[in-house]
Amino acid sequence: MRVKLYGLSTCPYCRMTKKYLASNDVEFDLLEVDLLEGQEREDAIATVKEISGGKSFPVVVIGDEVIVGFNKVRIKELLSL
Amino acid sequence: MTERPQRQMFEPGTTIDDLKEYMAPFVARLGYKFNTETEFVDEVLESELEILADTGDIYCPCRVRSGDPKEDAKIVCPCIPFFRDEFAGLRKCWCGLFILAGVEDGGELLGVMDEPDGDVDVPVFLASDVPEGQIRHVKVGKTSIAVAHAPDGFYALSNVCRHAFGPLGEGFMDGCHVMCPWHGWRYDVRDGTTDHPNADVRTYPTTERDGVVFVKMRISAKR
Ligand code: SF4
Ligand code: FES
Repeated sequence: MRVKLYGLSTCPYCRMTKKYLASNDVEFDLLEVDLLEGQEREDAIATVKEISGGKSFPVVVIGDEVIVGFNKVRIKELLSL
Repeated sequence: MTERPQRQMFEPGTTIDDLKEYMAPFVARLGYKFNTETEFVDEVLESELEILADTGDIYCPCRVRSGDPKEDAKIVCPCIPFFRDEFAGLRKCWCGLFILAGVEDGGELLGVMDEPDGDVDVPVFLASDVPEGQIRHVKVGKTSIAVAHAPDGFYALSNVCRHAFGPLGEGFMDGCHVMCPWHGWRYDVRDGTTDHPNADVRTYPTTERDGVVFVKMRISAKR
């Protein structure tokens, strides 16, 4: 299952999420929104807003599911870890 | 981005301890304290110092700036007044830097992001901050309430007078009644009733615990 992580380089939960996924050998695409600039940044913020309803991070997309925040339990469930 | 004046303490050289010293007494007045996970706290504050160096203010490390100063003022740390209902539901601020004053183990809350459905006890202020005979306007999520200190305790009611929308939280207390500051309509703060027909206002259950006043409300905020 494709896993995508929208994060901020400054956000402790994003770091925890990254660590958690990596320690479980889950491959994921990472987009650190605060490191983007200009149009790319705007687009990423718009995407996050659209899929999560807000501007809070991290946002983890697993298949069709969107998890806002570092929710270990949900991630575990969805990836059957 | 429009320039805002910088606070003097936020000059180069600001430390984690400076931030703690400045934030702790402020969040205490809102019914919060620093998370008991001290390493985590330092990690968040470290990020905030980096953001400060970058942007000139201590924006939330877990949310993204829009570029609109008015919008972004809501994510300058501590941001608790803008998200009272949501954070009361989580029992911590979004990042977990702050937890409700009554929570003993903040570590347990760190991975919890699910907000409960339904009613939540929202801390509004310290009982000692609003002496008897005073009333105060508080915004909880999108709802404006007025919290009164009547002779027999604290009561919360809608902030909006049914006459012409006067702000009851700026009104005058008279025993268990508040007089609207605009034209003097009187409401009983205990049940929201008034002598004017069909003009009663809504009230909310209010409690006091460990010196903090809580108002029971439905959470409505969106991040
Ligand atoms: S969510 Fe917490 S850390 Fe982030 S700005 Fe608000 S109070 Fe500060
Ligand atoms: S608006 Fe409250 S009395 Fe007129």
